[in-house]
Amino acid sequence: MLPRFPYRVQIPLGLALAVTLSVLLVSIVAARISARNAQLEIVNRVQSIVELLAAQGKPLLAQDDTWRAYTLLRNASALLPQTAKGQSRAALLDAQGRFLAASDPRRLPTGEQALGVLINGRLLPAVSDATRTKTLTTPDGGMALIEPIRSDDAQVIGFVFAEVDAAAFDPDWAALSTPAVIGAALAILLLVPLGWLLGRRMARPIAQTAKCIAQIGHTDPEQLQLLLPYVKDPELERIAGAVRQLLIETSARQANAQRALSAERLAAVGRITAAVAHEINNPLAGLITATRTLRLHGDQPEARNRSLGLIERGLQQVRTITTALLPQAKVEDRCMTPADLDDMLTLARATAAQQLVIITSEVDVQAELCVPSTVFRQVMLNLLLNAIRAAGQDGQVHARLFVTPDKVSFILANTGKHFSDERLQKRLMTNDGNDPHGFGLWICHEFAVRYGGGFTADQAADIPPPFTTRLNFWLPNLARHDPQKSAAD
Amino acid sequence: MQRRTWLETAAVWSVLSTAGHAQTHKPSSTAPLRVGLTAVILADQAAFLTRWSDYLAARLGLPVVFVARESYQAILDLLFSEQLDAAWICGYPYVMHQSRLQLLAIPLLAGRPYYQSYLIGQPNKASAITGWNDLKNRVLAYSDPLSNSGWLVAQAQLRRAGLTSKDLRRSFFAHGHRNVAEAVASGLAQAGCIDGYVWDTMQLQNMAAAAQTRVVWRSDWYAFPPMVNLLGNKNPALPAFGAALQNMFTDTQGQSLLKALNLSGFATPDATLFEPIKALAASVGALRA
Repeated sequence: MLPRFPYRVQIPLGLALAVTLSVLLVSIVAARISARNAQLEIVNRVQSIVELLAAQGKPLLAQDDTWRAYTLLRNASALLPQTAKGQSRAALLDAQGRFLAASDPRRLPTGEQALGVLINGRLLPAVSDATRTKTLTTPDGGMALIEPIRSDDAQVIGFVFAEVDAAAFDPDWAALSTPAVIGAALAILLLVPLGWLLGRRMARPIAQTAKCIAQIGHTDPEQLQLLLPYVKDPELERIAGAVRQLLIETSARQANAQRALSAERLAAVGRITAAVAHEINNPLAGLITATRTLRLHGDQPEARNRSLGLIERGLQQVRTITTALLPQAKVEDRCMTPADLDDMLTLARATAAQQLVIITSEVDVQAELCVPSTVFRQVMLNLLLNAIRAAGQDGQVHARLFVTPDKVSFILANTGKHFSDERLQKRLMTNDGNDPHGFGLWICHEFAVRYGGGFTADQAADIPPPFTTRLNFWLPNLARHDPQKSAAD
Repeated sequence: MQRRTWLETAAVWSVLSTAGHAQTHKPSSTAPLRVGLTAVILADQAAFLTRWSDYLAARLGLPVVFVARESYQAILDLLFSEQLDAAWICGYPYVMHQSRLQLLAIPLLAGRPYYQSYLIGQPNKASAITGWNDLKNRVLAYSDPLSNSGWLVAQAQLRRAGLTSKDLRRSFFAHGHRNVAEAVASGLAQAGCIDGYVWDTMQLQNMAAAAQTRVVWRSDWYAFPPMVNLLGNKNPALPAFGAALQNMFTDTQGQSLLKALNLSGFATPDATLFEPIKALAASVGALRA
């Protein structure tokens, strides 16, 4: 319960508790010591009183003066412990061991035999056995003293009898505890406000440090360092020093993160540049091929027109790509036609020819076709170039354009290295575009996600051997919904 | 011891006070009238004694000094050695020394010059005594060996009950009627012989010792302890002292003092009143004088 309180409450409460416990322990120890001392003191006091009574009672015994003996005993017994509570008493006995008088005549009746009989449950010695001082104790801690009184010629003329009950030896708890309680109360009165001040003073740097810790992440670490207290207490200084070190490290980490962010931004710009270069470079390779064809066969009208058409569509694709980089631009794109597949095959064959890769294709258009031509052309060219690289020397690549009313699919199979769907998806998930080697696949995946299509790998069941797996990229066929509308990006 | 010291202190104080007061009436060379007091009254009340001595001194024209002693014998010794001019003693020592003493005045209790002796015991005790016959093997407290009510009457009654001192477990003198009451109240004695006037006065003053005892038996009426002087004492103040006592009831101050004494006045001396005490002493063989 105590640790839940703030220090300005904990410290005074703790001090008060410590004082109370100390007082309690001291009182217990003092009580034990006091009880032991009190017993010795009582014994000594009783012996002194007995000696006094022996001296004063001697003439009274000689005169057989019961009344004066009584007044002597009554006055002297006030010196015995707890007489008022009836826990001690004294008497003068005659030579025969009978009570001449007693301070408490009702318990020690005048004239009754005392020596040699049971008195208050204690058997007193006979007259003949009481010629010397006798100290009798009881199992419960009480005591009795018998002192013979002798005449000048050493004749025993009587006895002094003093008796103290065990209860008289009990520590006076009230008397013992009263000063302790008063002392504890005074100490608490002093210590509570003092502890409150100490607690507040002690808690101030801790609270300041805690405030600094709470603001880490929200406030500049360098400013927070200025708020950290400088204390002399070694433990607090260690805490403050640790927080200060934490702030220094946080500051350094933030600087590093800032630098990393800048580097990341630069890298991102680099990747974008690389991507743009990649997307532009692919059609550019085809365009260069077309210009060579045009230079070689430009005098033939069919070849010239075909090369010019290819160049025009390639340039249009480049234009569309670069326009798409402008965030404020709204790119208008045309619907793709089967001729676009021919363009891409034409562009890819130059690369395939270098590796002696055979490219075959088929077009299965079962419905009107409308997908963004630039996107689809780029995907087809990317996948064709990837497939040629994967097929390797003397490999085969088969491309298929499959159009249904719902979607437009570009299916590609190749010999050589190929993807299973699990491997492809893992590659797409782990590759966030930072890997330049998988950039083409990632772009295809991003297009599929953006346009609501799909990009998977599966068994090439509908493609004759030697192909075993295929990549399937598809986009929703926009012609079904709005045939008049262009495939706006 | 303490009580005696206290009484002596009171007496000395009374002397000083009276001496100072008397200077307004007579030359300081006037010898004071010394009056002895015994346990026949509750004499340890300093303020009262001062007022009484002042009262008497004003009427006698000389200082009056009260001298108190615990035992009757001590006062008699002072009286016979002429250290006292007068003394308030018990009827028994008076009849013992009647030939040497002269009556000055006899106190009146409720208008009569008589008082009783009481046998007192402890109240509400299963073993409480009911009379003289119950005193066998009991502790009996007497007041003084020269007290009529506190010893002589008891001797006659014990004899009548067929008991002797040996039949008692123990008997002792308490050196004063008041002490007898305290001895019985404390349990030091089971019974006590006491002056009935003193016990009644103690009860009137709500003293604990009277409240813790009860009267078991009352004696016949005997002459009240008288104020006497030594026969042949020619002190001229003595007749005036007797007259002053007898006239106390006539003024307010005197009545107030008498009320404090629980008396109604002082009467003219009459020696015949003491014949029953003389007969009682003779019956027990205690008339030695």
